[in-house]
Amino acid sequence: MTVGNVFFVVASVLALFGALMTIASRSPIRSAVGLLITIVGIAALFLMLNAQFLAAIQLIVYAGAVVVLFVFVIMLLGPDAGDGEGTVARARLARYGAGAFFLLLSLGAAHLVSRSGLTPTRFKFAPAGHGSVEAIGRLLYGSEVIPFELATALLIVAVVGAIAVARGKPHVRRESRSASPTARMFHGPLMARDAQRPLPTKAERAAKAAGGV
Amino acid sequence: MQAIEALFPANNYTLLAFIVLLPLLGAAVNGIFGKRLGKEAVSLLALSVMFIAFALAVVTFFSLGRAQEGEEAARFIWKGWEWFRLTRADGGSIMLDVAFSVDALSGTMALVVTGVGFLIHLYSVSYMAEDPSFHRFLTYLNLFIFSMLVLILGDSLPVLFVGWEGVGLCSYLLIGFWFEDDKNAAAGKKAFVTNRIGDFGLLVAMGLLLYYTGGLDWSSIGNGAKNLLQPVQVWPLGTHVPAASLLPQGWESWINMPRYVSAATLVGLALFLGCAGKSAQLPLYVWLPDAMAGPTPVSALIHAATMVTAGVYLLCRLSFVMVLSPAAMAVVAVTGALTAMFAASIAFAQHDIKKVLAYSTVSQLGYMFLGVGVGAFSAGFFHVITHAFFKACMFLGAGSVIHAMHARIHDTDASQDMRNMGGLRKYMPYTFWTFTAAWAAIVGLPGTSGFFSKDEILLKAYTSFVKTPIATMSDGGSGTITMFVWPTWLGSALYAIGLLTALMTAFYMTRLYIGTFFGEFKGWKIVKNWQEPEHAHGHDDHTHGHAHHVPGVPLEGPIPHESPWQMWVPLAVLGFLAAFAGWLNAPLFHIELMHQWLEPVFAKASGAVELIEGAEHLEFAFLGAAIAAFAIGSGAAYWIYALQKGKPAQSFVEAMPGFHALVFDKWRVDELYDEYVIGAVDSLAEFFAWADKWIVDFLLARVSAFLVSISGTALRFIQTGRVQTYAAIMVLGLGGVGWFFVTPRAEAKLDSNDESGIYSLTAAPGLGYSYRWDLNNDGKWDDKEKFGSRTQQSLNLAVKENRTVRLEVKNAFGRTAVRSFNFARPAPDRSGATSRLDGDAAPVRRALEQRQLPKPQEMK
Amino acid sequence: MSSLGYFVEQYVMLAGALFTLGCVGFLVRRNVLVQLMSIELMLNAVNLMLVAFNRQHTADLNGQVFAFFIIAVAAAEVAVGLAIVLAFYRLKSSVQSDEADQLRH
Repeated sequence: MTVGNVFFVVASVLALFGALMTIASRSPIRSAVGLLITIVGIAALFLMLNAQFLAAIQLIVYAGAVVVLFVFVIMLLGPDAGDGEGTVARARLARYGAGAFFLLLSLGAAHLVSRSGLTPTRFKFAPAGHGSVEAIGRLLYGSEVIPFELATALLIVAVVGAIAVARGKPHVRRESRSASPTARMFHGPLMARDAQRPLPTKAERAAKAAGGV
Repeated sequence: MQAIEALFPANNYTLLAFIVLLPLLGAAVNGIFGKRLGKEAVSLLALSVMFIAFALAVVTFFSLGRAQEGEEAARFIWKGWEWFRLTRADGGSIMLDVAFSVDALSGTMALVVTGVGFLIHLYSVSYMAEDPSFHRFLTYLNLFIFSMLVLILGDSLPVLFVGWEGVGLCSYLLIGFWFEDDKNAAAGKKAFVTNRIGDFGLLVAMGLLLYYTGGLDWSSIGNGAKNLLQPVQVWPLGTHVPAASLLPQGWESWINMPRYVSAATLVGLALFLGCAGKSAQLPLYVWLPDAMAGPTPVSALIHAATMVTAGVYLLCRLSFVMVLSPAAMAVVAVTGALTAMFAASIAFAQHDIKKVLAYSTVSQLGYMFLGVGVGAFSAGFFHVITHAFFKACMFLGAGSVIHAMHARIHDTDASQDMRNMGGLRKYMPYTFWTFTAAWAAIVGLPGTSGFFSKDEILLKAYTSFVKTPIATMSDGGSGTITMFVWPTWLGSALYAIGLLTALMTAFYMTRLYIGTFFGEFKGWKIVKNWQEPEHAHGHDDHTHGHAHHVPGVPLEGPIPHESPWQMWVPLAVLGFLAAFAGWLNAPLFHIELMHQWLEPVFAKASGAVELIEGAEHLEFAFLGAAIAAFAIGSGAAYWIYALQKGKPAQSFVEAMPGFHALVFDKWRVDELYDEYVIGAVDSLAEFFAWADKWIVDFLLARVSAFLVSISGTALRFIQTGRVQTYAAIMVLGLGGVGWFFVTPRAEAKLDSNDESGIYSLTAAPGLGYSYRWDLNNDGKWDDKEKFGSRTQQSLNLAVKENRTVRLEVKNAFGRTAVRSFNFARPAPDRSGATSRLDGDAAPVRRALEQRQLPKPQEMK
Repeated sequence: MSSLGYFVEQYVMLAGALFTLGCVGFLVRRNVLVQLMSIELMLNAVNLMLVAFNRQHTADLNGQVFAFFIIAVAAAEVAVGLAIVLAFYRLKSSVQSDEADQLRH
């Protein structure tokens, strides 16, 4: 029972617990915390696997940016971020059925693999510097520089895209006065009569569902 | 004259091109620019074109006369261009050119066509003067003359066929000239369709002639005509009639037996089918009475003088082919005689003046075919010429009468009804006297043209017959075929029918004559200086049907007017010719100008035609019989209609109403065709309509559309628009893909070599597959039941040995699958026999060789 | 017990379990934010497996570099995805994925 074994057990328990918390929590903020726990657990596992650089990156990027983003959005949304209590859960059987089916698939795959009679191989001795910052850095700026630059470009595009999508339109949506239905189809509601009316708010929708037609 | 002969040598007679193309030019100019040119210009162009064509035909005629001396037939040819060049199986080529030629026969016919055509053009200028489509009428008339000239002057059957179809087309266009009325359009359609049935016969004849004689122009056919005396095997119902095996013994072989006819008979019958369509013989005559829906000049030109005689012309042109088959000639003669009598019987009961003339035309055409059928070609052709004169004169005269009636009675049917006429001789003298001349000709008043031509036909019907060219023919095997011999009783039978028909003709034509021109005028009350009431009608509303008078009040109207000079001058010319043209060929008085003129053309055919014994002595007897027929027929009609004012006829009709109705309804032949022939087509069409509605529209369209829409409705459930749904379905698909990869498949490729006995199996690879074989079929896996990686196995089999080989496959997940393969090595085939199919082919091949027709070759 | 953490199969099983949890979470939960987080779980599971295999075959560092890029892309994806969630919220005032059915038949 070495330190490594204990470390492995603790890290995997953390990861699994965090995953369960993510998918099973009612409140989204708890799901975010669960994600954070999983990420920390995975980072610990990376350390066991001689991937120090990656562990650091995992913590910085995932725990420090992605989860923070999630928390920001949950904060922006306010109480609407959680599961709606009033709305009817549609197709519950289909969803749970699909989830159960996938679980079954996964268990079946595990069963098949265990039956297959593979001989487990223990890790061999890793060379020095395997997974170190220098090694990965040499790769990233050496043979993998093109994917690296492309990833950079991707990040910039993602930033621009996110701003463009999330910004919203400051101007009032005006009624589309295009003559032909084709033109209206491309920039505006399909039927002219829809252009005038705003979409109903959540309260109105709830009222309509409860009392109306 | 010498100048013309120098300018146009006999083998490049360009005048023919002019004669043919001038009417075409007139038609083209009038057709395209007619509306703009105006009536005077259109009529001037049409008439001058016709007149020049007639003049050129006269010049040609005289040149021919000078060129033809003695026995050799003079012939002028103009070759236009090469049309087809067919390659024979032996490498030679057959030329089909667009060429025109004229000899005595076609020269005379061209004279008649252009001459009578010109007169009718002149007549139409006045008759159709108020018609809004005046230019269209003259265009069609010119086009018709062009087609008729192509038909007559063509040097080969294809060129003739072009003209044949052209006159059919023009007939359709002209019959349905006032096409706004459905009746007229339907009549035009009926004419064209009935013609077409006959044209099928002409096409079959062309094919047969091309095959047997090796050419389609008159000279090639003439050279190769001997080859037509070959037997042709015909299986009338096919070689194996399906139900025949149910019949008693012997019937089946009798039904399936081939019949032998000579090729000449087939050609003759096929040609006659074409003539039956074009020249309105039984059973294809039904279009001609309906064709009276067209304007009267059309009836005169096309359905009296020219187009309907094209059939007679064809048979005369190919006389040397027709005489090779006495059977076909007998059919022609019998059909002609029966048609003559049948049509004459219908004419007894008709009231419409044009219908009487139409049936009279059919009857006289029957006479022409009777004459041609017994071998008297020049007699039949002479009747063509005389008939052209007197029938055209009668039609034009009827048109003149109708023109006068139409001034007050605008309804087409009523203005042509004889019951509304009478006593017109006082008011229309020119029409009366010319009609009298034509009437005299058709009833056979001695001395008129009709008398001479009809008398000659009757005489020849009794005395003339066609000899059998060869007595027997071999049928290609061991048997011989005896050829048809002209029966001895046929002549007297034909004569009897012909004489009876002459009597009937005299009767109904006199009835027509008296009913129209004598007695009281029954159309309206004649009022001097009668004025047209308020709304003025033109003479050209042929489409209006109202009588414009209050029933109960007797119709009042003007004096029936005589026709203008453009109408009665042609009448006068034709009447004169009808009366006196007979003297061209009066054998009684030993004037045989026409015979001598046409003799060289029919020289080849005359060799096969003979007269019975003692024919010379019968002339005077038959003359007396003909005069007696005329006297009895017209005398009876005169007595019934003039003296007794029609009362005996009335009582006959009242005594036998059913019979009268049957004859009045043309023996209900049209209704028979409608019921059975058109009815069959209608039933077929209804079946297809049902199939279209229930099978195509319902099963194929609606049911399949329904299935698609149901599947669409079903599939729409998963189209929720939500990503989670799609992800769930992806998971299902993932399950399927996973299952596919996880299950092992045991497949192997077989390679069998029956002769050496070595069979090999190659197992298909897969993910982590390992294999286990059982080659010796002992139920236990080989190699101590271990899975190995050997994918290829081969085994040797002895002769006629069976073995089952098993393959088991295990994949990386430990799942297994088994498959077994069966091998059997058959015994080698040392019999050397061929397969059964080959065995059956040999007798069939031999039979085919037997049935092959001998190649056309010179026969001694 | 002495073998825990030194065999690649264990890491693969763990990664498989994490992946299953993430996928089930995506299929079952209606909240869009939780669905996005489940996607992150799946990506992390894959990362873990890549690095584990790379530890088994230490000739080169391809697995870790791959994982590095996955992290980068995942970050970008989360950014854009959350922007979309915000736009969607502006449209429908809700973050239930059931509401996003405009492409319904």
